[in-house]
Amino acid sequence: MKNNSGRRPLIGITMGDGAGVGPEIIVKALTDKETYDYCRPLIIGDKGIMERAVSVVKAPVTVSGISDISEARFIFGTLDVLDLANLPADLPFSRVDGRAGKAAYEFIERAVKMALDGEIDAIATAPLNKEALSQGGCKYPGHTEILAALSGTKDYAMMLVSGPLKVIHVCTHVSMRKACDLITKERVLRIIKLAGETLRKMGITSPRIAVAGFNAHSGEGGLFGTEEINEIIPAIEESLKLGLAVTGPVPPDTVFYRAVIKKEFDIVVVMYHDQGHIPIKLLGFETGVNVTVGLPFIRTSVDHGTAFDIAGKGIADSRSMSEAIRLAATMADAGPDKGK
Amino acid sequence: MKPVIGVTMGETAGIGPEIIAKLCAQNRLRPYCRPVLIGDVRVLTAAQKIAKVDFTFRVVDSIDGIEWEGPIPIIDLKNIDPAAVQMGTLDAKSGKATGDTLVKGLELLQSGKIEGLTFAPLNKAGLKKGGHEFSDEHKMFAHYLKWDKPFGEINVLDKLWTSRVTSHIPISEVAKNLTVDNILRAVGLANATLIRTGYDKPRIAVSALNPHAGESGLCGREEIDIIAPAVQTAASQGMNVAGPFSADTVFINAFKGMYDVVVTMYHDQGQIAMKLMGFQFGVTVTGGMPYPIATPAHGTAFDIAGRGVANIDATERAVMIASKMAAFKVK
Repeated sequence: MKNNSGRRPLIGITMGDGAGVGPEIIVKALTDKETYDYCRPLIIGDKGIMERAVSVVKAPVTVSGISDISEARFIFGTLDVLDLANLPADLPFSRVDGRAGKAAYEFIERAVKMALDGEIDAIATAPLNKEALSQGGCKYPGHTEILAALSGTKDYAMMLVSGPLKVIHVCTHVSMRKACDLITKERVLRIIKLAGETLRKMGITSPRIAVAGFNAHSGEGGLFGTEEINEIIPAIEESLKLGLAVTGPVPPDTVFYRAVIKKEFDIVVVMYHDQGHIPIKLLGFETGVNVTVGLPFIRTSVDHGTAFDIAGKGIADSRSMSEAIRLAATMADAGPDKGK
Repeated sequence: MKPVIGVTMGETAGIGPEIIAKLCAQNRLRPYCRPVLIGDVRVLTAAQKIAKVDFTFRVVDSIDGIEWEGPIPIIDLKNIDPAAVQMGTLDAKSGKATGDTLVKGLELLQSGKIEGLTFAPLNKAGLKKGGHEFSDEHKMFAHYLKWDKPFGEINVLDKLWTSRVTSHIPISEVAKNLTVDNILRAVGLANATLIRTGYDKPRIAVSALNPHAGESGLCGREEIDIIAPAVQTAASQGMNVAGPFSADTVFINAFKGMYDVVVTMYHDQGQIAMKLMGFQFGVTVTGGMPYPIATPAHGTAFDIAGRGVANIDATERAVMIASKMAAFKVK
C-alpha cells in the first residue's frame, strides 16, 4: 500500500513508556525499508532509550538525535529522533516508573503541538503505562484523554481496525449498566458521521456503514429492548437523509459475519465496548490498530499495552506498530491536505 | 450399534426440507447414526426436486422392524401438503405441522424408539401462528417432556460450547438478572450437558459482564459482587471452573482449546464470537434435557428457501452431536 500522491507524509511517532516495549517495536517497524517508501517517520522520544532499543533488537540502524525537525533526513538506516532528552539511559525495564510516565506525556505534548502547527501530518503512538503516567503527575488517565484535552476536543470516538474489520464505538469504558444511558440518537448519529468522515480519509470514497443493534436480535421489534426503536433507528434515518450509505440496525450476532465474511460493509458502528472488541480480538490480536477520530489531526496507535513481561528482550511483535504507522500515512495521504 | 436418531424437516416454507434431502442424498447422516426421518412424504419429495437430488426412501409405520441397511426410512405424518405452502412465507398450517412433527419426535424419544432428535430449522412466529404457544422451542420440549429441572439453549461450534445466564431480554435488564443462583444454574447446566456428551470433567470459563472484567470495580461491580462468588461456589462444588474473564479475550483462549465451554452473561456475548468464527457450522443443543436434542443454529432463511442453495453443514453437525450424546448414553 504505497501512497497515491507520491508525497511521503511526515508521521510523528511518540515513543510511549520507555520501560515498555514501545521503543523496540518502533525500531522494528522502522527496520522495514518499505516504511520509508510511504512516509517520513520522525520519532518523538529520548535518544538514549532509542539507542538502547536498537541494541536490544540488534537492528542494523543508527540513531540520529535532533533538536529541530529541519535536521531530520528521513533516510532508511538512520532513525531520526526528536530528542526530548528526558530519561536516564539506565531506566529499568518493565517497572512502573513516574519518570517514564512523565516523559511519555511530554512526547505526546510535543507531538500534539507539532500536529496543530502543521509540522507533522499525523501522530502514531507507542503504548504508555497508565499507572506510570499517573505517578509522573499526569492528571489524565490515558492517551485519548490527553490528546482531547491538549487539542480542545470534546467529541471523539475510538475506531479499531483489525485486518478486514473496522469498528467504531458509541461508548467504551463504562459498565453495561451505564452503557444503556449512553445510547442516544445524538451520539449514534455523531458516530455514524465520524465513521463516514474517517473512512473517506482512509481513501474509501463511499463508505458502507453498518450500525449494530444494541439488544439481542436488535430488540426484535421492541420485545427485547427499545433502544433500537427510540434511538438507533431515528439516528440511522437522519444519517440516510445526509446521503450516507447506512444499514441497520443489524442484529449484533450477524453484523460481523456480514462485514468480514460477506464483505457487505466497510465499518460497523458498535454500541458498547465488548460488542466491538470481541470480534476485533478474535480476528487478529497482533495486527490491530486504534484510530482516535474527531481530533483536529490524524492519530493512530497500537492496540496493545507496554507488555512489561517481555520488555527489553527484543521479542515484542511489532506488527501493530507497523500497521499504525502505515494507516496514519494512508490517512494523511488521502486527507484534505493531500498534495500539500 | 449406532444410535437411532429422529430427524425432522422443520418449517416447510424454509430451507429445512431441502437440507435434509441433500444430506440423505449425499449419505451424510448414516456415518453418525441410524437416521429415521419424521414428517410428510410429500414435503420430502418436493425437497428432492428443490435440491435437485434423487434417492429412494421407504415409508414406515413404526420404528420397530426398520431395515437400517435399506433405503432411508421416513415416518409419514401426512400433516402438511407443500403444494399449499408458499416458500419463504409464514403460514399457520405449516407452523402447526412443524410443531406437531416435533411433538411426535418427543413422543418417540419418551417411548425409547429413538435415542436422539435433530430438527431442521423452524420459525418461532410460525409455530405460534400454528397454535404452539411457546416463547421458544426449548420451553415447548420441556412442556411435552414434563421436564421440571433446569434446561436451556447451549451453542456448539466445533469443540467449543457456550451457555448463557440470560438470553432473550433487553441489555438494560441483564445486570439485574445476574444473581449467584442464576449463574450457578448456567454453569451447572453447561457442566451437566458436557458430561452427558462424554466429557469427563468439562473445563468451564465464566465470562465477565463489563469491559475488562470491570477493571477492579472501575467499570461495574457485578464481577466482584456476583460473578466471582458464583464461580467460587461452583468450584467448591467440584466443577472445573474459572473466571470471570474479560469477554473480549476469553474466546481467544477458548478457541485455542483452553476451555470446553464458556458461560456467557448475555445473548450476544457468545453469539458474536460463535457466528463470526463459524456462521455455517453452529449447532444449538437443548441443554439439561433427559434426551439429546440438537438443531442447526441458523434459521429458516426465508430469503433463499426453495432455491436449493442452502448450506447443509450445520444440520449435519447437529445430527453428529445428537448421535454423540446418544451414543454416550447407551454406553
